[in-house]
Amino acid sequence: MLRNSSLLGAASRIVSAVALLLIAGALPWLSLRDPAASVLRARYAELEPTPEALAAVRAELGLEGGPLPTALRWWGGLLRGDLGESWISRAPIGPGVWNALGVSATLTVCAIVVALVIAAALVTPAALRILRDKPQRGSGPVGVALTSLPEFLLASALLVVVAVQLQWLPPYGWTGFKTVILPALSLGVPAGGLLGRLLTDAVGGVAEERWVNVWRLAGARPAVILGGALRRAAAAVIDQLGLVFIGLLGGAVAVEQVFAIPGLGRYLLGAANSQDLPALQAGVMLMAVAAALVGILTGVARRFLRGGPLPPGALPPPPEARGDGRAARWTAGLALGGLLLILVTGLPRDPYAIVHPRLSAPSMALPFGADASGRDLLARVAHGTIGTLTPSFAIVALAIVIGLLLAVLGEVARGPAEIANATPPILAGVIIAALMGPSVGGAALAVLWVTWPPLTTHAAALIDEARAMPHIRWLPLAGVSRFEIWVRHILPATVPPLLRHGMLRLPGVALALAALGFLGLGAQPPLPEWGLLLSEGIDYVERGPWTTVAPATALILTSVFAVAMAGLRRRRKASGARSGRPRAAEAAEDAALPV
Amino acid sequence: MTVAPELSPAITVEQVTAVHGSGRQARTTLSPTSLSVSRGESVAVIGRSGAGKSTLADVVLGLRLPASGSVTVCQEHWCSATRRPAKRLRSLVQGIPQDPVAAFVPRWTIRRSIERAIRSLSRSAPDGLGEHPAGRDQAREHARDAEARISRAAELAHLEPSLLDKRVTEVSGGQAQRAAIARALAVSPTVLVADEPTSALDPRTSAEVSAALLSIVEDEGIALLLVTHDPEFAARCTRTVEITAPAGDPLTPAAPATASAA
Repeated sequence: MLRNSSLLGAASRIVSAVALLLIAGALPWLSLRDPAASVLRARYAELEPTPEALAAVRAELGLEGGPLPTALRWWGGLLRGDLGESWISRAPIGPGVWNALGVSATLTVCAIVVALVIAAALVTPAALRILRDKPQRGSGPVGVALTSLPEFLLASALLVVVAVQLQWLPPYGWTGFKTVILPALSLGVPAGGLLGRLLTDAVGGVAEERWVNVWRLAGARPAVILGGALRRAAAAVIDQLGLVFIGLLGGAVAVEQVFAIPGLGRYLLGAANSQDLPALQAGVMLMAVAAALVGILTGVARRFLRGGPLPPGALPPPPEARGDGRAARWTAGLALGGLLLILVTGLPRDPYAIVHPRLSAPSMALPFGADASGRDLLARVAHGTIGTLTPSFAIVALAIVIGLLLAVLGEVARGPAEIANATPPILAGVIIAALMGPSVGGAALAVLWVTWPPLTTHAAALIDEARAMPHIRWLPLAGVSRFEIWVRHILPATVPPLLRHGMLRLPGVALALAALGFLGLGAQPPLPEWGLLLSEGIDYVERGPWTTVAPATALILTSVFAVAMAGLRRRRKASGARSGRPRAAEAAEDAALPV
Repeated sequence: MTVAPELSPAITVEQVTAVHGSGRQARTTLSPTSLSVSRGESVAVIGRSGAGKSTLADVVLGLRLPASGSVTVCQEHWCSATRRPAKRLRSLVQGIPQDPVAAFVPRWTIRRSIERAIRSLSRSAPDGLGEHPAGRDQAREHARDAEARISRAAELAHLEPSLLDKRVTEVSGGQAQRAAIARALAVSPTVLVADEPTSALDPRTSAEVSAALLSIVEDEGIALLLVTHDPEFAARCTRTVEITAPAGDPLTPAAPATASAA
C-alpha cells in the first residue's frame, strides 16, 4: 500500500524541489571540468596552472567550501537581486541577461501569435462542421504536416529557402520587424500545428458527446452549441497547451542560434560553450521562472474553463480520433524505405576520407555531393544514421528499465518525474554540456532525462492493471511467492506494451539527439551525426546548398516516420479497445506521447 | 481422510476490521466481525451489498491484511494487521472465487495450475509430507502422488478428467467452477472459503455445484465459510452469520443501532 500513499507523493515533490534549488545554486561547484583551470586559462593565459594559482582562482570564483555553501551564497545573492559576475568577462550578469530576456519575450509573444493563428485556422473546418451539424473526427493531413518538423529543422529550411535563395527577408540579426518574421514562424508553426491538432481532435470528440444532442433537442442555436463545444475542448487540452508553451522556451535555443538572435536561448548556449556557469545559472533561473509562470497561467485558465478543480477522473477524456490507417501505413513505409535506401547505399562508403573536391555538386558518383572538406555526404549521412540511432536505442532501453524500477517504487518517483516532464530536452542538454563538456554521452543523458517519465507513468499503470487481474490476485493461494508473482506474472504482462511504447518513441528520441548535435552540444567533429552534419552544412549554404539538403532529408524522413507511426498507434489502439484491453494503461500511454 | 472429532474450531476470526485506501481517502469496509467455524461445519455469511462480505473472504484467505483483529487457523496464528500468513500454513486455507477464472492462470491448462499449487504447497506442508525429494525415486513418487491427488480432487468435484487438459477459458462456467473446487481440494485444505461460488451459474448448475460443495464439506471434514446472496444455499448451511455495513457508509440507510451481527 506504500506505493500509493499520497503523503509519499507530497514528500517526494518537496524533496525534489529542494534538491533542484540546491543543485541550481551549486552548479558551478558540480562542474566536472575543473572550472578553476578553464577560468585561469581564459583570464591569465600566461600563468602556469600551479595548485596555488588554481586555489586562488577558486577562492576568487566563490567555490571554496563545497557544494552547500556555494549554493547558499548564490541564493543569498539572488535574494538581494545580485545575479553574480561572469567568469569570463567579470562583468555583472544582471544587465546582459535582462536584455536577452526582453528579446526572448518579444520573440515568444510573436511565436504564440503565429501559433494561435495557425491553431485557429486548423480548428475552423471542424467548428464549421459542428455548425452544419455534421461533426467529423480527425484532424487531417495539414496539421500532421505542420507538426512533423522540429524547430531547428524548420528554422534551417526557412533560412535556406526564404532568406538565402529568395532573399525576401534578412537571414540573421535582431534589427526590426523584418528579422522577427522567420524566427517567429519557425517557433510558432510546429506549436500551432500541434495545438490545432489537439483542439480539432477534441472538438470532433466533444461533438459526439451526449450533451450536444440534449442541447440540440432543447432547441439551442448551433452557435451556442459551438461555444459550449469549444469551451469543453479547450478545457480538455489546456494542460497540453501549457506544455507546448514551455516547449517554446526550449525550441527558442535552436531558433535563436540559427538566426543569430541575442535572446535568452543563445545566451544560455554561449554560457554553456564558454563554461560561464554563473551566466548559465542566471539564464536557467529565468527560464524556470518563465515555465512556472506558464504553469500558473495554465492553472488559472483551467479553473476558469472547468469551473474549479475537479477530482481526478471526474471529466471523461475526450474520445480518441480515428487516424487514417492506410495513409499512415504508406507514409511510414515510404519514409522507412527511404532511410533504408540511404543506409544500404551509404554504409559501404567511407565517411571520413577526404578524397573529393571540396563542395562537389551531387552527381552519379556522389549522389549527395561532398561537404566543405571534400567528404562523401552520402556516406556521412548513412553512418550518421548509425551514430544517431545507436544512442537512441540505448536511451529507450535505459528509459524502459528505469521506468519499470521507478514504477515498482511508486510515489517516490513523483517529484523528479514532474520536474523532468517539464524540462525541454535542449535545456537539459545545455546544462549537462556546461557541466560535462559537449559529448554524445552528455546529449544522450539529457534526452534520457526527458524520456523516462512517460515510460514510468505507463509502467505504473500497467503494473497496477496486472496486479488487479483476478488470477494474479489469487496466485498466493497456490503458494506462489511474491517474488515469483512479480517476476513470472506481473512483469511478463508489463514488458511487451512498454517495449512497443519505447519503439514508438525512438524517432522522437533520435530527433532530440540531432537537435543537440545541431547546437554543438552532442557529437563532436569529425563524427558523422545528423544534427552536426546539418549545422556544418549551414555555414556553406550559399555555395553548396546540398550540404544541408542531405542531412535534412534524413531528418525529415525520420520526422515523417515518427508522425505516421503515431497515427498507426491510434488505429491499433482503437482495435485494442474493442477487444477489451484495459483503459487505464492506454490513457497513460496516450498522455505520454508528444505527437 | 477421516473426520477427526475436534473440540476447537478450525478457524477463528476475532474482531477483524478492514480499511480500503490510505490517508484522507481511507474508508472502513468491514466493521468488527468475529466468528468461528469447526471442521465439517458450514457457515453462511450474508448481508447487503457493501456490508464487507467479500472483504471478509479476502481477509480470511490472506489476500488482504485486516486493519485490526486477527485470524487463527488450527490454533495457529494465521494473519493480523502486521503479519502475513505463513507459507507453511498456506495449504490449510483455500478458496473458491466468484469468477472461477481467477483460480487459474489463463495461459496454463487446468492440470498445470493444480500441479503448481500441489508442488509449492506440499513441499512446506505441516504434516511433514514434503521435504524436497532427494532422489529420483522420490521425485517419481511425488509426481505419482500429485497425479493421485488431482484425480481424487476431480472426482470429488465431479469434474470430468478430460477437462483437466483444457484451459479454464475453454470450458463452461459450471465446469470452470467445478475445476476451481477441484483445485482447492487438491491440496487437502482444512478451511474452504467460497465467495458467491454459484452466483454466475444458471439455477440448475448452481444447485448441482452447491450440493456437491456441501457434501464434500461434510464427508471430508472441512470447515466451509460461504459468502452468498442465495437464501436457499444459506439455509442449507449449518449456521448463518449476518454482517452489516460500517457506520457512515452512504449505501446503508440510517439503521437502528441494535441491528448487528446475529
